Amino acid sequence: MSAHAHGPAEALKALVRRQYFWGIVAIALLLLVNLVKDPGYLAVSIGSSGNLVGNVIDILRAAAPVILIAVGMCLVVATGGIDLSVGSVMVVAGAVSMEFLSGAPDTPGSGLAALGLVVVVSAALGAVNGVLVSVVGLQPFISTLVIMLAGRGLAKVITGGQNTAATNETFRWIANGYVLGLPVVFLLALLLAVAMGLLVRRSALGLMLEAIGMDPKAARLAGVNRRALLFTVYILGGVLAGFAGVFATASVMTVDVSRTGYQLELDAILAVVIGGTSLAGGKFNITGAVVGAILIATLDKTVVFLGVSSSATPAFKAVVIVVLCLLQSERVRRAFRQRRAAAARTPEREALAA
Amino acid sequence: MSAKQRIVQVLGAATAGALALGLTACGGGDGGDDDGLTTVGFVAVGPEGAWREANETNIQETFTEDAGYELKYAPATNLDQKSQIDAFTSFVDEGVDVILLSATEATGWEDSLKRAQEAEIPVILLDRGIEPDDTDLYVTRIAPDNIAVSTAVADWAVSAFPDGANYFVLEGPAGVSVVNERNEGFDAVAGGQANLVKVGAQTANWSTEEAKSVVETVLKSNDNDVQFIFAQNDEMGLGAVQAVQEAGLTPGTDVKIATIDGTKNALESLAAGELSFVAEYNPLFGETALEVVEQVLNGDDVESSIVVPSATFDSPEAAEAALPDRKF
Repeated sequence: MSAHAHGPAEALKALVRRQYFWGIVAIALLLLVNLVKDPGYLAVSIGSSGNLVGNVIDILRAAAPVILIAVGMCLVVATGGIDLSVGSVMVVAGAVSMEFLSGAPDTPGSGLAALGLVVVVSAALGAVNGVLVSVVGLQPFISTLVIMLAGRGLAKVITGGQNTAATNETFRWIANGYVLGLPVVFLLALLLAVAMGLLVRRSALGLMLEAIGMDPKAARLAGVNRRALLFTVYILGGVLAGFAGVFATASVMTVDVSRTGYQLELDAILAVVIGGTSLAGGKFNITGAVVGAILIATLDKTVVFLGVSSSATPAFKAVVIVVLCLLQSERVRRAFRQRRAAAARTPEREALAA
Repeated sequence: MSAKQRIVQVLGAATAGALALGLTACGGGDGGDDDGLTTVGFVAVGPEGAWREANETNIQETFTEDAGYELKYAPATNLDQKSQIDAFTSFVDEGVDVILLSATEATGWEDSLKRAQEAEIPVILLDRGIEPDDTDLYVTRIAPDNIAVSTAVADWAVSAFPDGANYFVLEGPAGVSVVNERNEGFDAVAGGQANLVKVGAQTANWSTEEAKSVVETVLKSNDNDVQFIFAQNDEMGLGAVQAVQEAGLTPGTDVKIATIDGTKNALESLAAGELSFVAEYNPLFGETALEVVEQVLNGDDVESSIVVPSATFDSPEAAEAALPDRKF
């Protein structure tokens, strides 16, 4: 939120000016549509095991992996780059953890070990991106495309082309468990997003990332260590994607080598753009990315809740996204304002003439 | 950086990406066939689930060098039809003796098949059919009968729910021939039953994870008033089991789940009482395919459609009996 806001009214005004405000509006509208179909849609009850149960809770849980990859993508995009490999890092993380757990005893220890393994492997994949971009100087698009293609192949090699399943209660709890009645995945995703937000916005890190995205040369002249920062950002993106992969696979304790994380890089980019981060780099908004991720999850769940037929689903989603982008566009909004102003002026003039 | 420069860079990046993809698709296309082996190009689906794994391994293990064949296995990249068409075209250009095709998508094969015909390369469809189903374009289609298999599921549902039920269908990706046929067979029987009420259908892309998410929402939107879920493959059925359990219901009693494929995981789940009915869709037809290929190469006539027989399992006991020698 804006630091200049003094009262609730100003805070609201600042919020409306934010690009992700329209994302929030879109979420509200989608929820409203669901509410029209079923007046009990928003109801959250306490389930048999003392946890909160409801459609909204499902949305939060579905949003968790997207939040993580969107936050990672947001930082990468801020430097003027892009990370196409997040979906593939997710499936590698899933493959590594499932393959490890299928041969390990069902103890909290092996669950944590699998998590540690995921962090190492996904950081390594992120580091490859980082090296290709910062040291070799390849286009981020190409570097991450390489990992995107290689990653899914790697996952197939790890599992031997199979969809591997495993049992581990601790691991399963991460995706399906509850703390204080709320799903663990969402709390973890939110915690990581807030931690990232604080890290980059309470330090000069965020400004430096934006500086690289705006003008790499000027940033270097100003003493910003471009190489180290790019390296860090891609590793962070990789690790966040690794966690997202854990969330996705732990929910069913199966890694599906051709479907897990498939095309989720596009969801992440979409979430980032909805949140008001420019793909040209030099500017980013983590809150916006989180809003974007929740919007995508809401959209996915709405499609099922409304019973939109499978063949019409992509078209339905596209229409929602296009309308949202139009609403966000400054030019379209200005055109609307001018028309409204013109309409208001005409009766005024008539009144004067009378 | 000017906008023009940026556009040029992006275009360059996209071209390089396309090239990289093209290169991977062409890899492995060399190798001579001077050793007297019959070359068979297998345009396959690739990793999709345990069923596909069993099917393609079975084909690969049947067309061995010992049997006199050199099998070129070309799985699709992420179930993408374009990568299949590329592989198909390169097999035609290479001049293989026979092409086996398991299409990821039913439509859009006319041009490729005509090219093979011009090159006088016989094409045999394995499992997946094509649309429009022009039997002049291929020699034969060897597959278990999807319509018969899904009819078996519907027949079971009719007998298992004499008092009627609300049911939901978990479909594969829209437009795939398997999905259309499994719907057709199921609807032909279930659609005629007034007391079986369809509350909806949605794709979960054959995926356990997506199926769980879909069923979770479907149960909420129907206030848990769903007694029967028809999952068009095992993976989605297993996802449905987890969603039903998490909603506080008991799969097998509150919600009965029927699946198609009959993989080991599904039979284990049936033995545990979580699934209620599993219709096998027999993947092990390598032997049949081998016979057909030999007939075709000898110039013999073959039927334009060859049906592979499949079994059904309707009780934990039946599943337990079949489990020990389950190959997939």
